Amino acid sequence: MSAGESIIEVSSLKKAFGDNVVLKDISFDVKKSEKVVLIGPSGSGKSTLLRCLNRLEDDYEGKVLFEGENVNGASKEKLRLLRQKMGMVFQQFNLFPHKTVLENITFSPIKLKIATPQEAIAHAHELLKQVDLSEKADAYPQSLSGGQQQRVAIARALAMNPEVMLFDEPTSALDPEMVGDVLGVMERLAKNGMTMIIVTHEMSFAQNIADKVLFMDDGMIADSGTAKHIFKETNNTRTQSFLSKVM
Amino acid sequence: MFDFLKQYYPVFVEGTAQTIIISIIGIMIGILLGLIFVMMRLSKIKFLSYIARVYIAIVRGTPAMIQVMLIYYTLSKVLEVPQIQFLGSGLDRVIPGSIALGINSGAYTAEIFRSGIISISNGQTEAGLSLGLSDRTTMFSIVLPQAVRNILPALGNEFISLVKESSVLFYIGVQEVTAQALGVGGTLYDFVPPLIVAALIYFVLTFILSQLMQLLEKKMGRKYLRSN
Ligand SMILES: Nc1ncnc2c1ncn2[C@@H]1O[C@H](COP(=O)(O)OP(=O)(O)OP(=O)(O)O)[C@@H](O)[C@H]1O
Ligand SMILES: [Mg+2]
Repeated sequence: MSAGESIIEVSSLKKAFGDNVVLKDISFDVKKSEKVVLIGPSGSGKSTLLRCLNRLEDDYEGKVLFEGENVNGASKEKLRLLRQKMGMVFQQFNLFPHKTVLENITFSPIKLKIATPQEAIAHAHELLKQVDLSEKADAYPQSLSGGQQQRVAIARALAMNPEVMLFDEPTSALDPEMVGDVLGVMERLAKNGMTMIIVTHEMSFAQNIADKVLFMDDGMIADSGTAKHIFKETNNTRTQSFLSKVM
Repeated sequence: MFDFLKQYYPVFVEGTAQTIIISIIGIMIGILLGLIFVMMRLSKIKFLSYIARVYIAIVRGTPAMIQVMLIYYTLSKVLEVPQIQFLGSGLDRVIPGSIALGINSGAYTAEIFRSGIISISNGQTEAGLSLGLSDRTTMFSIVLPQAVRNILPALGNEFISLVKESSVLFYIGVQEVTAQALGVGGTLYDFVPPLIVAALIYFVLTFILSQLMQLLEKKMGRKYLRSN
């Protein structure tokens, strides 16, 4: 796939929980290597949108294409393959507490026969080095700080060799002094050309990393553009009022 | 008071062995049924979930003694078990009896599993699915192992109560500890001493079982905290 081609295309996405319409006609696309940042007030639908992309949220209208393949129409087997290519990092880390750090990272690649156990272990050690946690391979998640757990979670997602990484407020559950380590890992990932979709409240990070910022409000993309546009130039009053509250 | 033991201890040994055997079989069948029924109970397929609910409700709402007798008399009509003697009882009684214990325990075990599964955050399932794992792998490799750790105390209680409740098999003629004690009591024209012996045997068995469960809990708990 050449640079500039869309890796994710979302069109007319609508999602409701019962009577509560949470996403109202969302369309955007993500190009290979692009860093897309989602910002917006609480409850505006950022997490829901992210979760529709790998279909952790089901039953939505509209279309999500990943590398040209229909995510919402995919069979169970197909969906599993698509999910392998979309790494996801959660606010609450969600590491498997009954597995060591190394097992957390190697479990899926081995189980899904992406790699032999030896390959998976070698890859895991390499990834742990990338997130500066080489010495923690045999530790259990509960013994790690939040920042360390989140970096393991990133390594775990990377172990599947994903094409895209989805981040849902990866630093919101962290003590302030841990935030920098995690953002640092994400910045390195960005430099290496990873395609990333990031929900975050870290505005200066967003400004630095984003190729494109989507401002969500009340289930819609109320404003979008380059970081410069959103943070400096926009005339959108809703964007301005949101930013004045969070910055 | 306990002089009779000199003569009758082999009877109690046999009864204890029988109680241990039927308890182990009952516990294993209970775990298996518990797993099957909790999967049905939590299934999106309404019909399966309904069947599981009915099973659980019936077992919990009726006396174990009646369940055991019903299962024994029903099974003895359909199952041809050869009348081989095993530890003083016919296999035609021991096998249906153990199955009945398992069917009874399965309902409680299913509910215990369910509480354990519900206690594991949805984030664990989502993390598994987001890596491309199947629903089944996510359940059996991610959620269940954690659920089991959380429910070990409750499972331990269930196993202990099964050991004690296994005395209901007396009603269908399985020569377990209670039945043996009553037999000895009949010959002695005094039921109190043999029943005291039986009570002590149950106490020792359940005590050992609870110690084993605690050991297991400690072992699993410690492991989680290892820091490098
Ligand atoms: N599983 C669910 N069932 C019902 N309603 C839901 C569910 N998940 C989200 N919602 C609702 O959807 C709306 C959008 O939620 P969402 O979590 O996507 O917002 P968000 O932008 O991520 O907010 P935050 O910044 O607080 O994380 C909210 O009104 C929320 O109550
Ligand atoms: Mg959210």
